Amino acid sequence: MIKNYFKIAWRNIMKHKVFSLINVIGLTIGLSASFVIGLMIYYDYTFDTFHKDGDRIYRVVTDFHSPQGNFNNPGVTLALEEAIKENSNFDVVSGFYQERPAKVENKAIDKVVKWPNFVIFTDANYFKIFDYKFLAGDKTNILSQPNNVVLTEKRAAEYFPNTAPNEIIGKTLVYNDSLNVTVTGVVENFKERTDFVFEEFISHPTVLQTRLREDFLNKEWANTNSSAQLLVKVSSSADLVAIQNRFDALAKEHEDEDSKKYGLTQKFVLQPLSDIHFNEAYGIYDWSKGQASRSLLTNLALVALFLLLLGCINFINLNTAQASQRAKEIGIRKTLGSSRKQLIGQFMGETFLLVVISALLSFLLSRWLINVFSDFVPEGLSFDLFKAPIIIIGIAVLLLVVTFLSGFYPAMVLSKFNAVSVLKNHLTVGDKKVKLRKFLTVFQFSIAQIFIIGTLLVGKQINFLLNKDMGFKTDAVVSVYNPRGEGEISKKEIYAEKLKAIPAIKDISLGGHAPASMSSNSSSISYVDDNNEVNTDLQFLFGDANYANLFQLEILAGRGIRNDSVKELVINETCRKKLGFTSPEEAIGKTVLMSDENIPIVGVMSDFHQRSLRSDIKPMAWRGDWYRARFSQFQAVHVSFQNNAEGNLKETLSKIESAYKTVYTDVDDYRVEFLDENIEKFYNREKRISKLLNWATGLSILISCLGLLGLVIYTTNRRVKEIGVRKVLGASLLQINTLLCKEFLVLVAVAFIIASPIAWYGIDSWLQDFAFKTSISFWVFLISGSAMIFFALLVISVKTLQAANANPVNSLRSE
Amino acid sequence: MIQITDLEKFYKTEEVQTIALNKLSFNVKEGEFVAIMGPSGCGKSTLLNILGLLDDPDGGSFMFNGTEVAGYNERKRSELRKHNIGFVFQSFNLIDELTVFENVELPLIYTGVKPVERKKQVEAVLEKMQIMHRRNHFPQQLSGGQQQRVAVARAVVNNPKLILADEPTGNLDSTNGNEVMDLLIDLNEAGTTIIMVTHSEHDAKYSHRIIRMLDGQKVTENILA
Repeated sequence: MIKNYFKIAWRNIMKHKVFSLINVIGLTIGLSASFVIGLMIYYDYTFDTFHKDGDRIYRVVTDFHSPQGNFNNPGVTLALEEAIKENSNFDVVSGFYQERPAKVENKAIDKVVKWPNFVIFTDANYFKIFDYKFLAGDKTNILSQPNNVVLTEKRAAEYFPNTAPNEIIGKTLVYNDSLNVTVTGVVENFKERTDFVFEEFISHPTVLQTRLREDFLNKEWANTNSSAQLLVKVSSSADLVAIQNRFDALAKEHEDEDSKKYGLTQKFVLQPLSDIHFNEAYGIYDWSKGQASRSLLTNLALVALFLLLLGCINFINLNTAQASQRAKEIGIRKTLGSSRKQLIGQFMGETFLLVVISALLSFLLSRWLINVFSDFVPEGLSFDLFKAPIIIIGIAVLLLVVTFLSGFYPAMVLSKFNAVSVLKNHLTVGDKKVKLRKFLTVFQFSIAQIFIIGTLLVGKQINFLLNKDMGFKTDAVVSVYNPRGEGEISKKEIYAEKLKAIPAIKDISLGGHAPASMSSNSSSISYVDDNNEVNTDLQFLFGDANYANLFQLEILAGRGIRNDSVKELVINETCRKKLGFTSPEEAIGKTVLMSDENIPIVGVMSDFHQRSLRSDIKPMAWRGDWYRARFSQFQAVHVSFQNNAEGNLKETLSKIESAYKTVYTDVDDYRVEFLDENIEKFYNREKRISKLLNWATGLSILISCLGLLGLVIYTTNRRVKEIGVRKVLGASLLQINTLLCKEFLVLVAVAFIIASPIAWYGIDSWLQDFAFKTSISFWVFLISGSAMIFFALLVISVKTLQAANANPVNSLRSE
Repeated sequence: MIQITDLEKFYKTEEVQTIALNKLSFNVKEGEFVAIMGPSGCGKSTLLNILGLLDDPDGGSFMFNGTEVAGYNERKRSELRKHNIGFVFQSFNLIDELTVFENVELPLIYTGVKPVERKKQVEAVLEKMQIMHRRNHFPQQLSGGQQQRVAVARAVVNNPKLILADEPTGNLDSTNGNEVMDLLIDLNEAGTTIIMVTHSEHDAKYSHRIIRMLDGQKVTENILA
């Protein structure tokens, strides 16, 4: 019986090639998107799920609440670890401190590794929270003594190439030229997906021999550093409410005077292990991988769901429209004794066969899609994930669900046919079914329309973001960063002098970051006049006297700074307004209180955008490098080019690099950044959304138009006789085409009316994330509606023109 | 075998009610060959559909082998039909997507016959109908006469007690038509009861009895043999 079903299903597929192709294309697109997006969801949701008692492991993080807003910090005060160590709710408490040494040497073989990442100071408890497999070394007494280190297999291979783990034990590494540390263990890297990417575990007491010594000796409750983090494993009977109460009590108990005065409170919070991969507020450890986003995954899942639904709708529409063609077969089968259940089974089997064919094609397409969506697909995601049992079960369930969604309604409709009526050709298509097809078509086109409007408006906003005047010079400016850790200002000055000799360079300025960057440095200040006191957070822009000139920052009153080491400020307009000065001139000569020092305001500059246009302009001040003797804030040499220098930019850049090599020995750390590229990077997320929308739009238009084509083919085929009669009676090509198109264009127009407010609402909500935004223009909707109608008309006309052009003699004779 | 008494069937649209069968009564004995004749719209096909358990009467009684079957639900009707009744249609009603062999095999599939047994039975009946050489052809590759022979083969493959034939020669030329009638006679002689609706006086003469209908009622009944 089953064989018979599949046989007839296959022959039906081959007989109605166009309809089958439309169905398969629609379902293949939907399934491919579902496969790839499903894999991404699986990939991201299986981080750190392999740890023993993972549901009892938490990171303790800090939430700060203040009148200025709320801030989250993945770290906690170092004092907290001591305070909760003995609490019976915790099985293990393990603090660790992230550090990035400038270099690590294996002197025995003259091996030097600069800036190794993922290094932490920690203790044996870390290995009680996470179950590492020890390849060498004794786990029991691990990291209890100063100057001990445990390496992962991968890191060990870097420091000690071609050496077995056992032979590495007892060997010495030298950190930052002076700190001798002995390797006491080698552990296997986690084989499963994890955010705990640390490679090097130095024993906690060793920290006292580093620059961090003071921090660790004076454990201040008011001091929180994101590098100092705390992991806990709660006991199996732990009372989470009691833990939170204890945390709150500790925070309250140790609240300092300043916090009380400024209304600043801190709250310690347990962050579950499963949340770390997703929660952007606290972050992960390897930023280069980018944080997974639950909302992005949700949006992607929605896109997949919609594409799949569009495919299912095509299936339902085409199969119910075609039902009359299969009526005879149903009638015969019923006459020969087939029950309705058997018929439903047969049609569901046919649907399943088509779904399986689509699924097989989707596997091929998925490989390609993973490349297309490389911006979204995490780096480690591989096609091998398809082998995971849960994925296989998931796919099987998905195929069954899609079969049910697509096939059940048509199967019910078909199997309901009355044998007597169909065998006598008395079949009528119910009004209800036609209405349902219309409804589904409107639904399809509404989705496509929403995607089109969304794409256009997101594109408009991105265009607005990229082209809006930032308020300073952004083109033809590069920043060359000095080697990390380079403290000597004289070297930077020598480098700047050398650059002056390059003719293509117009201006040079020593400074911190460019006026707009991802980094920020701020401090709270207060201004007191006769009546009241204003407190505000002030962001700093570090730059020498030529900084404003190079970046073309406009000075509205007063002057720029004159000397790098004289303590004076040039504030922006936002800061001027915040401090209550009615005009830029009024601010000149006034002083603000900053870290117990009175600093004079010598100038006011106009506002410019310090970050992406998502955020407001914040109070900001341009200042010099006041503490250069201790720590220089000037990390870069900013360079602007002559107007005519663009032609030989490559040559100029190579000269800039050559000059760098004559000044600095650490040539590996040469970093040059183009300001306009950096600004573009602010909008990577928006560009990704735009790319996703482009694809979703293209695919949804494709699927919907294919479905429409199928319906048009079916309808015109049924109306061949009518068209013939009309032509004989003198109807023109245009009249016939209008007659045939009208029915479908009305559906597209209804879809436009439904989609517009939904798209408007969606885009309006999205734009709320931006402090500066484009307008939701009327013409976008007009263009989008016209585009949809154009596509629909194109598809419809392909068939209707052919039908209208046909010789009526043929159609009338065949009737 | 069949006893129908005061059988009624109405067709209703929103405005008009048409009487298709008006208190129709007659019996058919096992092994009989009955022809039903009458002008278009007299209710012949409606009667055949009810006899074939494809449709339900609105009134009256329909006894099949001594059991009242009027009012049977679809499942029971289907069960009774697939074991007892074979159909031959004017337009053959073969499934275009299935080969000759597969079309004939279909009733056996629905009655749950095992594949090996099915093959044997189908081949036997195809031999008998002299259509074996066409077993792998599709209906549209056959002539009308051949198609009807396949349809007859399909109707008898299950060894039904009753064959309902709705103008079996209506779409055939006289040579092919006679061949089909000969097949039906052979089946009848072998013991199968046949009820045939026809417009053709020539075909009706093959039967034992002719029932003539008009406006849903029996007008005359002629016994031929």
